[in-house]
Amino acid sequence: MNKQAYSGPLEHIGCCCHRIPKSYKAGMRVDGHIYANDKLLEAIRKDQAPDQVANVATLPGIQVASIAMPDIHWGYGFCIGGVCATDPDEGGVITPGGIGFDINCGVRLLKTNLFLDDVKHHMRELVKALFYSVPSGAGRTGKYKFDTTETRRLMGEGPKFVINRGCGVTRDLEHTEANGLIEGGDPHQVSDHAVKRGAEQCGTLGSGNHFMEVQVVDSVFDADVAKVFGLELNQVCVMIHSGSRGLGYQVCDDSLAVFRNCPAKYGFELPDRQLACAPVDSPEGRRYIAAMRAAANYGFCNRQLLMQQAREVFASVFGRSWEALGMEMLYDVAHNIAKLEEHTVEGKKKKVWVHRKGATRAFPAGHPEVPEAFRAVGQPVIIPGDMGRASWVLVGSQGAMEKTFGTTCHGAGRAMSRTAAKTDAAGRKIDKELEHRGVIAMASSRHGLAEEQPKAYKNVDDVVEVVHEADLSRRVARMRPLGVIKG
Amino acid sequence: MHELFEHTADLGLRATAPNLNTLFEEMAACLVSAMVEDPASVRPLQEVKIELAGADREFLLFDWLKELLLRFDTDHVLFASFDVQVSDTGLTARVRGETYDPARHVLAHEVKAITYHELKVVQEGNEWLAEVIVDI
Repeated sequence: MNKQAYSGPLEHIGCCCHRIPKSYKAGMRVDGHIYANDKLLEAIRKDQAPDQVANVATLPGIQVASIAMPDIHWGYGFCIGGVCATDPDEGGVITPGGIGFDINCGVRLLKTNLFLDDVKHHMRELVKALFYSVPSGAGRTGKYKFDTTETRRLMGEGPKFVINRGCGVTRDLEHTEANGLIEGGDPHQVSDHAVKRGAEQCGTLGSGNHFMEVQVVDSVFDADVAKVFGLELNQVCVMIHSGSRGLGYQVCDDSLAVFRNCPAKYGFELPDRQLACAPVDSPEGRRYIAAMRAAANYGFCNRQLLMQQAREVFASVFGRSWEALGMEMLYDVAHNIAKLEEHTVEGKKKKVWVHRKGATRAFPAGHPEVPEAFRAVGQPVIIPGDMGRASWVLVGSQGAMEKTFGTTCHGAGRAMSRTAAKTDAAGRKIDKELEHRGVIAMASSRHGLAEEQPKAYKNVDDVVEVVHEADLSRRVARMRPLGVIKG
Repeated sequence: MHELFEHTADLGLRATAPNLNTLFEEMAACLVSAMVEDPASVRPLQEVKIELAGADREFLLFDWLKELLLRFDTDHVLFASFDVQVSDTGLTARVRGETYDPARHVLAHEVKAITYHELKVVQEGNEWLAEVIVDI
């Protein structure tokens, strides 16, 4: 059902950008802009994701355009890969649908001083050790237990709270978006239900598309930037993809229940209930923003604890401390979030709420929010691909500031539904197939590998090619997976 | 009758039934089938009573499924059988299940949340139909 193809307009307006004019649908306040090449566009037309881009264009206070990245796919309310900026001074709204249930789902890349030759004979042992040490999959709780008071403190302080308990070092914070603490979060706006869901899940991967991967740098595209990032050919890295677990889902859930009455209360109409929103400047909007920011801080803590467990496993497998193994963070990026940022709109600087739902911030060189270590080149952007082909490190560029509110893609984007991927995998052994490609994979659920098989995703290289061509970010290095653990 | 249907990144739950009470029971069973490999492995050992208020049937279905998901995530209870009475102002339900036991229950998906997207409760002739997309 609902799997009809999109038959509306997509006009090429240059630089990989395709326009849905605001005349397409009643209520659109701005155009839709989808970044893609012909190959990706063909896949994008197959479902209603472009229609969702048009729906987002109806949101009160939206600026410039409803934007979608080349990894766009059909979501609920917002498409995944959607970006929208709203101006509070023009009645702009905040919408949980533009952030996602998994608030501050994101990616962290951890470097090592190991090279391919150092690990290739230890991969099975390493993946097993990671799989049995790092909790993954549905229903798993973590080894770190926090009571409700501690969980609220953790949301108020961000990863600093767990670092003070020995889980990491202060310099990790400097390599985390927003230094791991989004100001203005209020843990007391997070419901008891949400805190209860999150209290025993901090430091767990979860399931779905979340993963921890051991990867090797297999191509370097920009040697100068790679040097600044501390990346080189054949170097081994660890990529972590997870979010704010049940706590974030519940914050989103709670807000949807409150926001369901807002359109009538504030006098606007929505084409899809999942776009439920409230004016930024309203009691409902302010409460959600405070809770969402607190949940985002929990997300940073979750990835900090996951990283620390990876460090401990490497130390035990290789018999050296994580410091001696050079396990330093490159960066941590959020790709499900909304942030108040300064952008230039029609020549005027203004503060807007940038919603990134499956999209990554990509600030260029010189931006004050880029950590000092990278300010000369731009923010590292971490793009996970599928578990058989590749993932990428990109660098933020000026084009993103001009076209997409400082935003680029977030991954490969699904090409197949979970059910279709499972049917496609029937009778095959995905773990064996991956092994033939040089990847050791372990998953805690029976269907985890089938639903997440490489074929279920678009080729991330195609997605990256578009954002590079459109100057939304530039290629730095490509990594291929060696070992994967999944939920 | 209930079934799972496909949605690009997520999963859909769908049920049909001759009346609203059965429809809500079937949708609950459908949610369990998305979460557990073998729903028959869940035994009705303990009973809880759930009461929800709400006149809008679609929002009531959303709240009902959300409540069951929350019970799993916070109290680790999986459900096996449902006895639901839907009225004009809400619902009351007696729900039986047991505490999740990794040794006996194989979980299929981590359902993150119930969504409003394409949420539907409609009467078609003598039959009721419900659909909801869950976030995986």
